[in-house]
Amino acid sequence: MRQIAFNTHISGKFNTELEDLRNSVLTMGGEVEQQLIDTLKAIRLNHSGLAEKVALNDLRINSMEIQIDKECMRIIAKRHPTASDLRLVMIISKAITDIERMGDEIERMARLVTKQKIPNSESVKSSMLSIGEKVVAMMRGTFDAFARQDDNSALEVYDQDNRIDSEYKRLLAYIVKEMESSNESMQDWLEILWALRSLERVGDRCKNICEYVVTLTRGEDIRHTPLENLSQTLENLE
Amino acid sequence: MLKLFDHEHLDLDNLSDDLTAIRVEDLSLQFGNKHVLENISMRIPKHRVTALIGQSGCGKSTLISSFNRMNDLNPQCRYQGQIYIGDRDINNKKQNVSELRTQVGMVFQRPNPFPMSIYENVCYGLKLQGIKVRRQLDDAVERALKDAALWKEVKDRLFESASVLSGGQQQRLVIARALALKPDILLLDEPTSALDPLTTLFIEELIAELKHRCTIIIVTHNMQQAARVSDYTAFLHQGRLIEYSDSDTLFTTPEQKQTEDYITGRYG
Repeated sequence: MRQIAFNTHISGKFNTELEDLRNSVLTMGGEVEQQLIDTLKAIRLNHSGLAEKVALNDLRINSMEIQIDKECMRIIAKRHPTASDLRLVMIISKAITDIERMGDEIERMARLVTKQKIPNSESVKSSMLSIGEKVVAMMRGTFDAFARQDDNSALEVYDQDNRIDSEYKRLLAYIVKEMESSNESMQDWLEILWALRSLERVGDRCKNICEYVVTLTRGEDIRHTPLENLSQTLENLE
Repeated sequence: MLKLFDHEHLDLDNLSDDLTAIRVEDLSLQFGNKHVLENISMRIPKHRVTALIGQSGCGKSTLISSFNRMNDLNPQCRYQGQIYIGDRDINNKKQNVSELRTQVGMVFQRPNPFPMSIYENVCYGLKLQGIKVRRQLDDAVERALKDAALWKEVKDRLFESASVLSGGQQQRLVIARALALKPDILLLDEPTSALDPLTTLFIEELIAELKHRCTIIIVTHNMQQAARVSDYTAFLHQGRLIEYSDSDTLFTTPEQKQTEDYITGRYG
């Protein structure tokens, strides 16, 4: 684990600014994580009031993205960060785009409840919730890895996405079978498929943030590196 | 909506008198026939760092020197307009200039310690004011050196010559000399241009600390330094004030094209 001390600059104010910036990402991440927890609860309980609250709260997350982006620009213009400081500001600017999109995906899932399109099939619903719980765990792991600059944990989280993808594909195959024998309209099934797709996309966004953690700590961009080459790439950096 | 960051941006056009350290009203200045400043009006906020930027000859050093009447040393200097500190127009001929320079300290580009001991340098101004009690002088020297972040480095050699100090230490000594007089305003004219980059960062950090004690106005050629240290920035061009705003705005989204061109290096 490679820790970068962001609080050792001569300028105490710069230390504070970077700490505030990092904390703001965790605040935003925590909000989005809670949004997903609330959405899953709303699906489980068919609670449209809670789902409505999730949809409304997305505006808060959008506002956070704008504020953090502005702060990144301010720090670049005023502090001229270099090396690990520059990487931190740049990856935060990217990460918040991913977090904001997670918020959008979660809002789409919450709409399933407000539109009363929750799957009638208990097995589809429980599989969806099960994937949802895994995505929540993945989000938590992602933001922990970011907070602790723990690239090993980031890579473990990265790996979780593959398991979520497999479960998602199995559920899709199951739904296709269900559709054939179900009375639900095609439109309803499409809503469910889109919601599931959103859930899976949240996992992908977490994976992106894990890649940024590695960029921050090791200075290496591992995006688009095939999984089978990843361990070799990282070993070369040791 | 949740506010994640809290950056103060005072409305400089409508700054109240109690928040204003210096109020400049329609100031024009010329040396002989050469117009150096033209119709400058601005309010400089108290206990903040304000940077004056612009290319050589734009009038920024002349403007900062107007705040403690240093331009009076040039017999060809003529000026119009008012500069208020509190409710007093310092351009008034009745203004006691020595008193003004006690209230408005100044530090120049090159460290200029006097050829005497570290201790004598710091208490020089106090002795001129007639303070002779040793205990009082000792306390003042210690306080000023602590405020200038130099005490730990020199406390065991206060009576050695100031000339043995490094450049960065000499500049902090000069700042301590100014601080010993407890100025309300400290003018810094290119205070780090003769120093190495690391020492520069230490002086900048000192500036950030000192603003809690007095108002700071800094002239700098180094735009990055202006961006780093200042809360507010004024851009001057050919003696005119082109743009004056909080530094966050000026360095990210300046209003005037001339400012944009200058800070992005498109100045031709």
